[in-house]
Amino acid sequence: MIRVKVKLFGPFRELFGRREMEIDLPAGLRTIDLLRKLSDSEEKRKHLFSAADTLHPHIVIMRNGMPAHGPGGLEGLIRDGDIIAVFPLMGGG
Amino acid sequence: MAISEPSWGVHGKILDIDLASGRITERPLESDLVRDYIGGRGLGARLIYDLVNPSCDALSSDNIIVIAAAPLIGTSAPTAGRGHMVFKSALSGGLGSSNCGGTWAAAFKSTGYDALVVRGKAASPVLIDIRPERAEILPAGQVWGKDVHETTEELLADVSDGRSRVLCIGPAGENLVRFAAVMNDRNRAYGRGGAGAVWGSKNLKAIRVSGDKKIRIKDRARFESGREQSFYLLKQAPATKRLLRELGTAGLLELINLINMLPHRNFKDTRHRDEDVERVSGETLAKTLLERAAGCTLCPMACQRHTRVGDKTGEGPEYETLVMIGPDCDIYDLEAITRVNYLCNELGMDTISFGGTLACAMELFEVGLLTSGDTDGLELRFGRSEVLEEIARRVAFRQGIGDILAEGSYRLAESLGHPEFSMTIKKQEIPAYDPRASFTQALGYMTSPTGACHLKGGYAVSLAFFSGPKEIPRFSLLQSPVAIRNMHNLGIIQDSLGICRFTGYAFSTEPWARMMSGLTGADFSTARLEEIANRIAAVERLFNLAAGMTEADDWLPARFSQEPILVAGEERVVSEAASIKMRNDYYRARGWDEKGIPTPSLLDSLGLKMREFP
Repeated sequence: MIRVKVKLFGPFRELFGRREMEIDLPAGLRTIDLLRKLSDSEEKRKHLFSAADTLHPHIVIMRNGMPAHGPGGLEGLIRDGDIIAVFPLMGGG
Repeated sequence: MAISEPSWGVHGKILDIDLASGRITERPLESDLVRDYIGGRGLGARLIYDLVNPSCDALSSDNIIVIAAAPLIGTSAPTAGRGHMVFKSALSGGLGSSNCGGTWAAAFKSTGYDALVVRGKAASPVLIDIRPERAEILPAGQVWGKDVHETTEELLADVSDGRSRVLCIGPAGENLVRFAAVMNDRNRAYGRGGAGAVWGSKNLKAIRVSGDKKIRIKDRARFESGREQSFYLLKQAPATKRLLRELGTAGLLELINLINMLPHRNFKDTRHRDEDVERVSGETLAKTLLERAAGCTLCPMACQRHTRVGDKTGEGPEYETLVMIGPDCDIYDLEAITRVNYLCNELGMDTISFGGTLACAMELFEVGLLTSGDTDGLELRFGRSEVLEEIARRVAFRQGIGDILAEGSYRLAESLGHPEFSMTIKKQEIPAYDPRASFTQALGYMTSPTGACHLKGGYAVSLAFFSGPKEIPRFSLLQSPVAIRNMHNLGIIQDSLGICRFTGYAFSTEPWARMMSGLTGADFSTARLEEIANRIAAVERLFNLAAGMTEADDWLPARFSQEPILVAGEERVVSEAASIKMRNDYYRARGWDEKGIPTPSLLDSLGLKMREFP
């Protein structure tokens, strides 16, 4: 088993009712698998995934401070101690 | 060709006021200026390039202020109410170019003018009062010395027509603080570059406008199709649909901390305790001080924060204010930051440069270059939120240590023989994103024409997170230059259209191209908008070059190449070699030579000529 920390931002805090959580997982899972596992209710699934079952484009996932889109991103294997952040495309500045 | 009759989208008139002679004239807005520069930032840059001697002293009567509306202002296009002010900057000595929301610009355009030129210096404090077919210079001695709120209220009470709007300076502008702002709707700021000091140097206290002039739309169906598309898209993207309303710009704070980009102690590092950051986050602000969110003209996003601290109400803080006066000064006291934000609004002072200058002074104090003897006993150490309001007042009134802080951090640190403590580019304070945490961010700041700026080079890290398939890696030497040119160009287009940057979180230029083409009946395709942006960038560059700037001014302070920060567990700097490479590639992507000078063939293709200066 490995342990990862998931940090939640913006509306995802309300959705999950917390700011961060630690999760124990079997080794060999990808970031996208973790996100599916987190979507354990219809409401959460709808917030994270489109009808076509792809992650909504306005959701940004970071693994250890780097964006997890693109090659090796969401498909990359998660490791023990990883910090996965979930936040919405945010405007500001 | 001059427009003799009101045309589509514009009134076709520029109001030209010489405060020295009192002469008020009207001249036609040439139609090719609209075609080639649109309005706002582009039109202002062109007029300033034509009218101002770039080597003049920014605080002398030779400087000129242009305030430009834009064709879309006066239509129902979303957010179309942003004015743009262009001048020679009191801070950088190069181009000053500042954008503002609120309601003033729409009221100005309804007076029947597209742009205003203000020259010369009045013998005593004045107010410019503009109504359709009538502009006057009135004495303003009764409000000179009063703060922004008092001035606004008094000047509105004199007219009580319900639709007048006031733009004015506070004590900071009167006292020529180099980062003084011009304020609109009491709390919205033309903040950066020291426009307020230029007003103060001209004895110009306020401009009041009121009108009912409408503009005409050439092809309403085409305009409406673009407008409907834009509102639809604004209601789709979460940032524009609800997050800016719920959290304001401060919603970014925890995210920027997460990516190791949140400045700390005058950009010494980006290390904060998460629980400290939470105390000043957008969520905490929303839960504690926020009374209501509100929007500028025609804005469905409503990022304005109307807040209360104790018995005082006001606007703010925004992300930049919060971070520069907060964590960058090692301060995490939300109420104290909000209170000094209110005070800066009343005094008429840019909160970014104020925060950056204060952080610099705190570091100078900690290393012993400033002592309590210099500060009249004030302990200017990091983390001391209790000094904030006192320092803001001293700066605005140039009392004691405030007199040198009012010059901005570059002149402050240089006067002590240590300019390396000033976190500025082109002498303007860097806003609240650490450039070591992203190459796009570093290059965006370096090449911004007005110096480090949150709008003309800021938040470039978003390219690494929010661009989906077009994403630019955080540390890509190869991709950053073109990405930053494109980002700068989008900003130029938005500022010249008179609309808000935040629409960019929902869509790029296509809906605007349709609205502009429908409004004017002319071709404003996305390709045409891109060409216009390249022309405006070249004119802004030509002004800076003529003002004496060189490629050496497109450069980060040494701290960012010498002192690493930790980003995602790795030490990061922006090395000098990386800066040189990205800067050269940016110039090349722009069609400028290795010294950053637009090439003759580029100027030729844009229909531009290098101006001769005396």
